[in-house]
Amino acid sequence: MHLPDGLVPVGMAAAGYAGSGALLALSMNRIARLPDPQAAMPRAAMMTAVFFAASAIVVPVPPTTVHLMLSGVMGVLLGWFAVPAILVGLFLQAVLFGHGGLTTIGLNGLIIAVPALMAFMVYRASAGRFPRLAAGVAGSGGVILSLAIFAAFVLLGLPAQMDASAERAALVVFVLAHMPLVVAEGVIVIVLLQILSRVEPGLLPRG
Amino acid sequence: MAEAAPRLPDCPRTRLLVALILAFAFASVRQITSLPLLAAFALAALVASGQPLAVLARLRAPAMLALAIALALALFSGSDTLWQAGPLHLRSDGVAAGALVALRLLAIVTLTLVLLGSLPPHKLAEALRSLGLPAILFDLVMLTLRYIDEMRARLARAEAARRLRGGGAGWRALPERAAVFATALIHGQHRADRVWAAMRLRHYGAARPATPPFGLHDLFWIGAALALAAALVWLDRAT
Repeated sequence: MHLPDGLVPVGMAAAGYAGSGALLALSMNRIARLPDPQAAMPRAAMMTAVFFAASAIVVPVPPTTVHLMLSGVMGVLLGWFAVPAILVGLFLQAVLFGHGGLTTIGLNGLIIAVPALMAFMVYRASAGRFPRLAAGVAGSGGVILSLAIFAAFVLLGLPAQMDASAERAALVVFVLAHMPLVVAEGVIVIVLLQILSRVEPGLLPRG
Repeated sequence: MAEAAPRLPDCPRTRLLVALILAFAFASVRQITSLPLLAAFALAALVASGQPLAVLARLRAPAMLALAIALALALFSGSDTLWQAGPLHLRSDGVAAGALVALRLLAIVTLTLVLLGSLPPHKLAEALRSLGLPAILFDLVMLTLRYIDEMRARLARAEAARRLRGGGAGWRALPERAAVFATALIHGQHRADRVWAAMRLRHYGAARPATPPFGLHDLFWIGAALALAAALVWLDRAT
């Protein structure tokens, strides 16, 4: 769910850089308050590598196949570190594979990092009482929020002369096409966090 | 990784700055009459890379995306019909908008792959660090690059093992796939603990090399990029 280069006006792309820059500054400020921020960094890098590799895997979920985003679980497991991890991942995707975009790193960062932070906050607030629900909201909700932000950016950025009904129809098709991803990520995050809570609870955020 | 062709900047920091300046200039093009200029820039970058065929091979996926966007805009954007076949209307405004978006996309991706995609991974990280980004980002990039291939291989082996054990496909396989990711994350966590201990033993973070100032060579490339960007935007706005 990446915006490619050249699709949106350059002013919007620049505003995306400003928005992601502000979010990065906020996250670095929160990371600096950790007891030992440097100690958390190798774990963040390792998880970024896992997510980078996992998001390249095509998962068949009939009638379609999906590339997992895993933004929700990144948020849950990395917390504020998810923001620099996601921006690093987007930069490497753009430079190494020409995927996503160099001018749209800022906008794509907002599309993925804002839902990741939402997932972190929701999970931390409710996992103690409703762990499966919290995990499902983190996984599925992360994708839904990303879809909403992506659609908003596309609607703002597409040429004004585009036929309004065609635009609406295209967005409806786009959202429906991602419903399997919404469900798949919800299921995967619920099971994944259940396994981690049994085997490696230290990986999960403490409330 | 291939050696940089002599027609490109040597310094990774300069390459990153030139890439950003020109990418944003390309993204700001609004007139279809500027498209030949964009195409010329992209072609020049391809030639300067010294490996045009390798770069073109990596453009396959972006080219498919550009074509899809161009077609969508040509069919659904604008009002004047150029050509019609049944319910499908090819509209002149849409064709122009589609060509603009497609060529902007391809020009920027070409530039990105030529200037940055050919750099060794540690040079990429060095480019970010030397632009004044927080050291933690540099460290994150370095370690992520170090472990990406290892994690990919681990996930591929785990997936193969899952299938060999009779693992299913489709929706029913999602819990098994979640277990594969969980295993990779747990192994990653344990590996990260050992990496952190080794880094501390090697005095990680004690001293960082100072960023050298820009040389004449770098200033030339950055100045040239700014001049090209300004010329492109001026010509685009003037038509």
